[in-house]
Amino acid sequence: MSAISGRAPELVSKRHRRFAGPWTYLFLLPAVALFVVFIAYPIVWVLGESFFSLDRGGANNFVGLDTYLSVLADPVFWVVVRNMFVWGLITIPVQMIIGGTIAYFIERHTDAWRGFFRTMFFLPVVTSVSVISLVWVQIYAPYYGIAQEYLKLFGIEMASSPIGDPSTAIYALIVVNIWQWTGFSMLMYVAGIANLPTEVLDAARVDGARGLRLAWSVIIPMLSPVTKSLLLLGIIGTLQTFPVVQLMTGGGPNHASEVFGTYVFRTSFVLGDTGRGATISVIVLLLALILSIIQIVYLGANLSPSGRREERA
Amino acid sequence: MKKVLVLGATLLSASILSTAALAADKEVTVWSWFIQSTMQKSIDAFQKAHPGIKVTYTYYNYSPEYITALKAAAASDSLPDVIGLQPGSLTQQYRDHLSPVNELAAKEWGADWAEKVFPVNRKQMLMGNPAGDTNYYIIPQESQVLCVWYNRKIFETLGIAVPKTYDELKAAAKKLSDEGYLPLFQGAADGWQNENIFLMLAGQFAPGLTDKAQAGEAPWTSPELVSAMKAWKALFDDGIFQKGALGAHAYPTGAQLFAQGKVGMMALGSWWMQESKFPPPLSQYVQNMDGFDFFYLPAVPGAKTASPPVGGVDIGYGLTKNGAKNPEAWTFLASLTNGEALQEALNDLNDLPAFAGHEPKGDVSDHVKDLYKRFMDDLPKAENQRFAIPAISEALDNALAAVAAGSVDPEAALNNVQAATDKALGK
Repeated sequence: MSAISGRAPELVSKRHRRFAGPWTYLFLLPAVALFVVFIAYPIVWVLGESFFSLDRGGANNFVGLDTYLSVLADPVFWVVVRNMFVWGLITIPVQMIIGGTIAYFIERHTDAWRGFFRTMFFLPVVTSVSVISLVWVQIYAPYYGIAQEYLKLFGIEMASSPIGDPSTAIYALIVVNIWQWTGFSMLMYVAGIANLPTEVLDAARVDGARGLRLAWSVIIPMLSPVTKSLLLLGIIGTLQTFPVVQLMTGGGPNHASEVFGTYVFRTSFVLGDTGRGATISVIVLLLALILSIIQIVYLGANLSPSGRREERA
Repeated sequence: MKKVLVLGATLLSASILSTAALAADKEVTVWSWFIQSTMQKSIDAFQKAHPGIKVTYTYYNYSPEYITALKAAAASDSLPDVIGLQPGSLTQQYRDHLSPVNELAAKEWGADWAEKVFPVNRKQMLMGNPAGDTNYYIIPQESQVLCVWYNRKIFETLGIAVPKTYDELKAAAKKLSDEGYLPLFQGAADGWQNENIFLMLAGQFAPGLTDKAQAGEAPWTSPELVSAMKAWKALFDDGIFQKGALGAHAYPTGAQLFAQGKVGMMALGSWWMQESKFPPPLSQYVQNMDGFDFFYLPAVPGAKTASPPVGGVDIGYGLTKNGAKNPEAWTFLASLTNGEALQEALNDLNDLPAFAGHEPKGDVSDHVKDLYKRFMDDLPKAENQRFAIPAISEALDNALAAVAAGSVDPEAALNNVQAATDKALGK
């Protein structure tokens, strides 16, 4: 008790020194300034623009919520929502499963070639999207494309390009996205597996857990923070999807592969309708906010194992 | 220490002198998507003719970089002096930031200056202006005529004659496909390629009708335009376009394959001639355009004639309100569109001039001269290829893609274009 009492004045003194005066708030200024200039101001500007609309004479008129109602009544908007839902639903779990499996085999079953495989599978992540798009357009091209050359060996002739058919375009782009980003999931799982406590794994082995049983009952549950992080990043990445779609299909044919990014870009920059583009952006922002809240409520804000330990302590 | 001081003083003096020399130059800032190497030649020619004026050019890819940069600069009132523009929708988007050039042009080139601009360009310069606004916000630099280019060496090897009827076009496409070539390469993932073909087809049934339709003076569902839409679908179904055309891009894929001699035909325009001026190595087909010649799309079933020449302004430039405060900006704009800077672009065969009375000079083969002359003969009678309102051209792009994919029939697709037109025109 006396020991605790003896340390108390020292702690108080330290706290006092830490908040020595109001001038210390000046240290917050750079962060606040960056936030205001690059995040808050653009959001407020876009929000303001969403309530205005240009008429044919070039005048910017206040229209209230009219543009919001018009966007929500536009069938193209719901095509985009469906595409985004399909995109997230397929890409996130598939990338996790393939990335996790690759990471497991690299970490558990390779030794000298470990670095090589890690690098090779991660290569698409650091490759320019422009290059990836050009290559995949060629892969998908029927008759003269790269895939066609291999399919010929089996007597198969592609009748059309998957990115040119409205019923398959979005799925063809999802394949490209999975190909590009699986390496990122792999890397996250590699880091997770490398940090697994060996005593737990050894204990599981002593108890007779091997192979799939070890992976399913021990490794996968212990990697749940990585999985949650990938889910969070996957949802953010889905909402931010733009370059690969813009470069490969431009959102076409006839909006079949439109995503929020291309929809906002087309509306604001190609059609020149800034008000409508701002409205769609605000809707996307609200959607992102709702999804973030849901994730925080169900998954928690702290996704790292160390974070959880601090929380419990 | 003394040495350091001397060195420092020397550097300081040199820097002051160079700054003073630079300060003597008046600067003009220009943004565009126009090919950088050719623009540099134009700038060099201009600066040689106008010592004391320095032109700073910023090149952007058209989409998304250029249109994004323009939007951001316009919002922050930081547009450069001169900006590259297309007539119609792009010019109209920035009309409030552009200065009318009527008076400056009249002072520079005489009161009848507009008469020297080819008629289709003149029409496009005013496209989309509000009723009663006769100001010119864009000065065209180059014109283009759309056509179907073909590889004449492949045609000769395979014994194919230039198609004069639709059946001959079909037979040519089949022969090319049978021999392992791509028939008529269509980058149908690009809306502009599809629009160009549709305008060629529409011109076969009723020249000028698409202009009336986009102005709300005729319905998009007119029988002639429905026929053109059906003919568009037939180009896919009859094997005239390559398989999988809907997922293909004209640039870089199609253009590269065409230049390499793997494609028989491609619907492009007069700008294709510039390929022969690109840095070596060039393919045997591109060298002096030896491998290429062009024709207009033959009459499709039910049409009266082959496609008329369709075209207009390839690229133009506008004087921004910022540029209007800088007298040198107009001097450069005038040179770029109708002076020594333009001549350099024409010498690079970048495209056709927008003003009458110009032609390329220098190292140009007889074959290219012949091609150029044929385009120039057709330019004065060209039909308009541009749209005043982007929402209408986008609706047409979507309709063409949907019809080609077989997901919508031609009448329903054109009904959608009509609905978009009515909405855009506030009907």
